Amino acid sequence: MIEFANVCASYDSQTSVLHSVNFTIADGDFVAFVGSNGAGKSTTMRLINGLLKPRAGEVLIDGVSTSKIRTSEMASHVGFLFQNPDRQICCKTVRDELMFGFSATGRESEHAQSRVDAVIDEFGFAPDADPFMLNRGARQLLALASIIVMEPSVVILDEPTVGLDGLGIKKVMERIKRLNEAGTTIIMVCHDMEIVADYARRVIVMSSGRVIDDGATFDILRKPSTIETADLIPSQIIALSMQLASKSAELSQTNIARAHTLEEMRDAVSEQLARQGGSK
Amino acid sequence: MIVVKELTFTYRESNQPTLRDVNLTIQTGSFTGIVGPAGSGKSTLMHALDGIIPHCATGDYYGSVMIDEIDTVDSDLTRISRLVGSVFQDIDSQVVTSVVEDEMLYGLENFGVPHDQIEERIEEALLQMGISELRERSMATLSGGQKQKVIIAAIMALRPRVLVLDEPTAELDPASSVSMYRLLRELARTFNMTVVVVEKDITLLSEFVDQLVILDEGTILFDDEPREVLKHSTELQKIGVNCPRATVLLNQLRSAGLIDAPVCINVDEACAALLEAIA
Repeated sequence: MIEFANVCASYDSQTSVLHSVNFTIADGDFVAFVGSNGAGKSTTMRLINGLLKPRAGEVLIDGVSTSKIRTSEMASHVGFLFQNPDRQICCKTVRDELMFGFSATGRESEHAQSRVDAVIDEFGFAPDADPFMLNRGARQLLALASIIVMEPSVVILDEPTVGLDGLGIKKVMERIKRLNEAGTTIIMVCHDMEIVADYARRVIVMSSGRVIDDGATFDILRKPSTIETADLIPSQIIALSMQLASKSAELSQTNIARAHTLEEMRDAVSEQLARQGGSK
Repeated sequence: MIVVKELTFTYRESNQPTLRDVNLTIQTGSFTGIVGPAGSGKSTLMHALDGIIPHCATGDYYGSVMIDEIDTVDSDLTRISRLVGSVFQDIDSQVVTSVVEDEMLYGLENFGVPHDQIEERIEEALLQMGISELRERSMATLSGGQKQKVIIAAIMALRPRVLVLDEPTAELDPASSVSMYRLLRELARTFNMTVVVVEKDITLLSEFVDQLVILDEGTILFDDEPREVLKHSTELQKIGVNCPRATVLLNQLRSAGLIDAPVCINVDEACAALLEAIA
């Protein structure tokens, strides 16, 4: 469990970038942190994996303060996927990259080798390939795989889909979804509300270094005041659902007013058309 | 006007062409999006427009790129860079000085702009980008979005005829991305400047551009106004170009024969079409 208790943070002694932040993330949750540039999301991620220590308050991982754990020790529990994979990849072959976490922490064992082999098989990587010769999507997958191979209980993803095309986004996000289904806690910073709506169960909204809302994904994405305050662009299907419900009292009583996904909206519209006696 | 004719380009280290027989016309003063999945050749096409291809990146080059009737092959890179300003995806690779004002001066002085015009151009460009207050700031203290605006301002001050930008919203949140696209459309309209952006996604972009060019495996798949291109959302999604979900929804309902509404490009249009069909 991850707990933030009245956390304040700053990068120098004067400017505070987080102001009394409180939240708890249970094991196995899938949480998206959303908010505009400079809202404090990346700072919060750095506090979770111990790269930054709070100026006031406490960050507790399974009841232990991050101020009392070495950052290197945290790394085996909390995996961190950077927005830009090139800031993460540092080895000359895919196999070395996947082994890097084990060798850096002195855990090169048979188990480590078999984990690396399993991940190479699963992702279909060429083990001797030079990571920097892979395309951007493949490098992002390699960076993700180098975290998965370590089996951390928490994975932090900082904008995992930036720089990827539609097919790359699907590939990365479906793998993350499976990771979460297997019990890993996923904490994701994401600007794309379509991805948030598709994958996250809970959303924490930040603005100017504060948590301004926290709740189930679809409750949050349907709150106009939160969307406006945090300067978010809502997912299109939810925006459409809300607009239709606000403009038609009849539709506000149908599944159209409750549709969150493209499939749900398509089915709800089809139902409504059928109810009206066929298509126009 | 930009006219690309039968352009095929193969990088020296590759045995496959990255661009194949590309034909494209971009009108002066328009805002155009070049979109495609990873590896589709869009950055290569961008560099064919800004002259880096063929002058810096070597390979087999067939066909022609004309910028205001100047063939980029026959012209040197200095002359092309006076016509075409380009903004790279990796903004840090384009920053050459440590203070915003120096960054603005760098291009102006190197282009030999008369001294009595420099101050006016700097003030005007910073004002256009809404960043006058950043003039004295150190580049190192700026956010990614602010740096991007400084670089665009530095290029605007050179008054190029064409502005090309590689993924200008990669570092920005959605609200800032919308502001960026709005600003680029304004630049095209106000200064009759031809603005070309290269992007992977058309969800936000399609509301702002006059022309959308979709590239796939080095060839042009679609080249039309956004509404026409968005008719093909199924094909676009298949190659990895995400479309607005409101558009996809309406296209699916139309294909299933459930509604008879025109292609919509945003939520407001989809709402109006659905209200007409079902409310």
